[in-house]
Amino acid sequence: MDDNLELPTATPKPEASQDREEEEQSSGDEDQGPDWTKIPGLNVARPVIPKRGEKDFEPTAQGGSGLQRHVLDRSRSAMLEALKATRTISHKSVSHAIWYPQLKRAHVTVARGIHFSTMGHSVARASAESEGAKKVQKRLELLPEEALYLVERGAMYCWEPTDLPLHHTVHLDDMEGVPMSVQQAYAEMIGADELTLERYEVYAYLRRLGYVVTRTKPPSPEYPVPPPFPSVTRASASIVNRLLNTVTSFLSQFVRIFTGGRDWWRPICFSRWLHYNMSNKSLFKSLRFLPSGYDVPLHVQRAPEAPSTPYQIFYNLYKPSTPFKKTAPPLPDFSVVIVNARTTPMPTIAELTDLFGELPELPPPAPRKRMSFAQQKQASASAPQSKQTAPQGPAIQPWSFRRSLAWIWPLPQTNENAKSPARPTNPFPSLKTGKKMVVVAAVDAGTISFFRFGQGVFTEWPMA
Amino acid sequence: MSLITPTRHKGSQKGGARRAENNKIYAHPLPLVFSAPEPHSKFGHVLGLFGPNTRLENPHCEGIFDPATRSVWVTNEKDSMILWRRGFFGKGNLSRSEPSWLARQINARKAAGKYMTSEEIREKRRAERKQFKMDRAAAIAKAAAEAEAAFAEGREAGPAFIPSGATWKPQPSSELSLPSEPLEDQSMDVAEELEPLEDVEHLQLTLQEAFFLIWNLDCLTVLDPHTHEPMSLRETWQTFQDVHCIPPGLPVYAHRFDNPFLVNYAAYHYYRSLGWVVKGGIKFCVDLLLYKRGPVFHHAEFAIVVIPVYEDPADKESSPFNLPNADTFSWSWLSTINRVNAQVQKTLILTYVTIPAQSRVSADLLSSPACLAHYSVRDVVLRRFIPARMRD
Repeated sequence: MDDNLELPTATPKPEASQDREEEEQSSGDEDQGPDWTKIPGLNVARPVIPKRGEKDFEPTAQGGSGLQRHVLDRSRSAMLEALKATRTISHKSVSHAIWYPQLKRAHVTVARGIHFSTMGHSVARASAESEGAKKVQKRLELLPEEALYLVERGAMYCWEPTDLPLHHTVHLDDMEGVPMSVQQAYAEMIGADELTLERYEVYAYLRRLGYVVTRTKPPSPEYPVPPPFPSVTRASASIVNRLLNTVTSFLSQFVRIFTGGRDWWRPICFSRWLHYNMSNKSLFKSLRFLPSGYDVPLHVQRAPEAPSTPYQIFYNLYKPSTPFKKTAPPLPDFSVVIVNARTTPMPTIAELTDLFGELPELPPPAPRKRMSFAQQKQASASAPQSKQTAPQGPAIQPWSFRRSLAWIWPLPQTNENAKSPARPTNPFPSLKTGKKMVVVAAVDAGTISFFRFGQGVFTEWPMA
Repeated sequence: MSLITPTRHKGSQKGGARRAENNKIYAHPLPLVFSAPEPHSKFGHVLGLFGPNTRLENPHCEGIFDPATRSVWVTNEKDSMILWRRGFFGKGNLSRSEPSWLARQINARKAAGKYMTSEEIREKRRAERKQFKMDRAAAIAKAAAEAEAAFAEGREAGPAFIPSGATWKPQPSSELSLPSEPLEDQSMDVAEELEPLEDVEHLQLTLQEAFFLIWNLDCLTVLDPHTHEPMSLRETWQTFQDVHCIPPGLPVYAHRFDNPFLVNYAAYHYYRSLGWVVKGGIKFCVDLLLYKRGPVFHHAEFAIVVIPVYEDPADKESSPFNLPNADTFSWSWLSTINRVNAQVQKTLILTYVTIPAQSRVSADLLSSPACLAHYSVRDVVLRRFIPARMRD
């Protein structure tokens, strides 16, 4: 019964994880509006709030039957009651900050609550003392979007420094400034330091869901940045691998010399005596003679005087479960690009290639382990403890060539492979996620659509 | 079991038998068949490893080029079956996919087909679905009326039963609502007792499929439509490009790298060489569909949108062809395509084909397929990102 009155939190509810792949693309719960009956906002004695029911397909032909009208009125009044309630916060848990328009930062004077474990950064500023000696002090400062988010939430009071004489008020006698209203905060902070309305909307939306959002390009030198992405390290080619590489390339060149270079009118030749192209596998392999993939140079000409592209990574996104340290942020889970959907078209391949150039390669997705029911129950019972060990699980698997040679030279068996040695790796999860991923948020007058652009890996997973 | 729900059972007798049969019929991924005769001795087995025993069988099919439909017609029934069964090339022009018009006519005559063709299964499924929707609407209306009556009296309405896809069973009486095939049968019977059935259907290959077969596998010969003489490979190469130049012979069409045939062929060849079965994707708002083994085995996993990219913007300005997707999409159109394909559980792939600039690559290369070496193909996977679901 009390589940209805629970405060909404950012921690995800434990869900059965089967069939996630298909549900990922459907809109589902997220697109339906908030459940007005579950929002606590009523200070008065709570009236009976009806549970959310099934939606009727259409109004009855006679036009608004009594039952339908009654149900509609009930839901509407629940919504209006929830919206009418005043939002309050205890003065012991509210924070205070002063907004400096020239610096474009808000300096937090009183910090309360859990927000500041993931927001704000410390900056050393010289504070002028009355005697003339300058002291350098470190203080907590917020970016415009962080300050605006907290003000909008009602968790922070923002003040503006002023020269006007101030009255002393109860509880607020140590503030030096005039309070800013939310409208004033919006007016001042949107436009400050590269913060557009679209970027703020994406920031606020993701923060409300519980993600930690930081900027990729530090706006000032004191802004903490995550370590650079690890450079792409191909699986270390052992001596045997390199030897086999050279042998096969030598053989193909030999055949080519023998047949007089690639004849463009007959690109595939079959040689029965040399056993060349005499099986489906080798035939398909020799069919792949046209350039493809991202290793081939992209010759698209770019106009040198073109304005800088809006497709640059703006935010780093960390999942709520990632342990985040403000002073030493870890590697981001997602990289977000924000564009205005009405003025900016889709990214071109040149822009996408540039974006992919900055991003690391993702490890191939771990295969779904098939467990019996008893094992599943056991696994879910011990899931919280094993969450930390999960990220280290799937090691970087060696890519295509090494794997294709596995029939001669078996791959070193890892723990997971030892359990199911006969099962070949399923290519589809890897094909569907791609090698590198960038998230593009297209904001269309308030509606945000997120897309994941992944670098395709079809050349590495041939079907034959 | 009604046809409106996709069958999920995997171990049934019927499914297993059909799968085994499909595996046997569609065993060859390409029209060329490699056969290794069984070795009789150990020595022969050793020799067999080195391959002189493997034989190559080339079916040498024949087709006629049709400029009006920009396709190659294969009218010989044996050839069209070979091309369909080994690699799923082409489409019957009177059928959904496999040329099955004759089989359908024979079934209609007998009116008791043991194996229904895919068109008949589709019609039956649509009729059942229509019936299901009518039943469901009636049940919903009834439940609403009952709830209304209960509300007017001030009491709670009882639980209503509304059929869902899993619980609905097709009624035997719904056979009558099938389209008027029984009537047609009778009239056709009378007429066709006199005429023997002649197969008027042909297999239609797109230009890309035809060129792939001619150029790489050398298993198709194309005849000229007027003279019925086999066309040489050089003539075919030129004709397939010229078919997009209307009216023919204009100088503006000469030496163009962005001929739609070339651009589409680059993408087709890329996916075929990776082993995928490539079919048209007009049904899902896209250009191509990729099947892992073929349409009879499993639904397509990937939907491809081919996006041509000009290396030199000046080429785009001067282009006489209006290549589709050459201008960047708006986000609303991209969302539309993505949503349509997500509904049918396909992943959208954007395939960028770069068209070489005339300033960089000499236009003489266009006289032979050597120019294809200057196109490059890249793919990008597009999916939705739902932050509310990706939190853990």
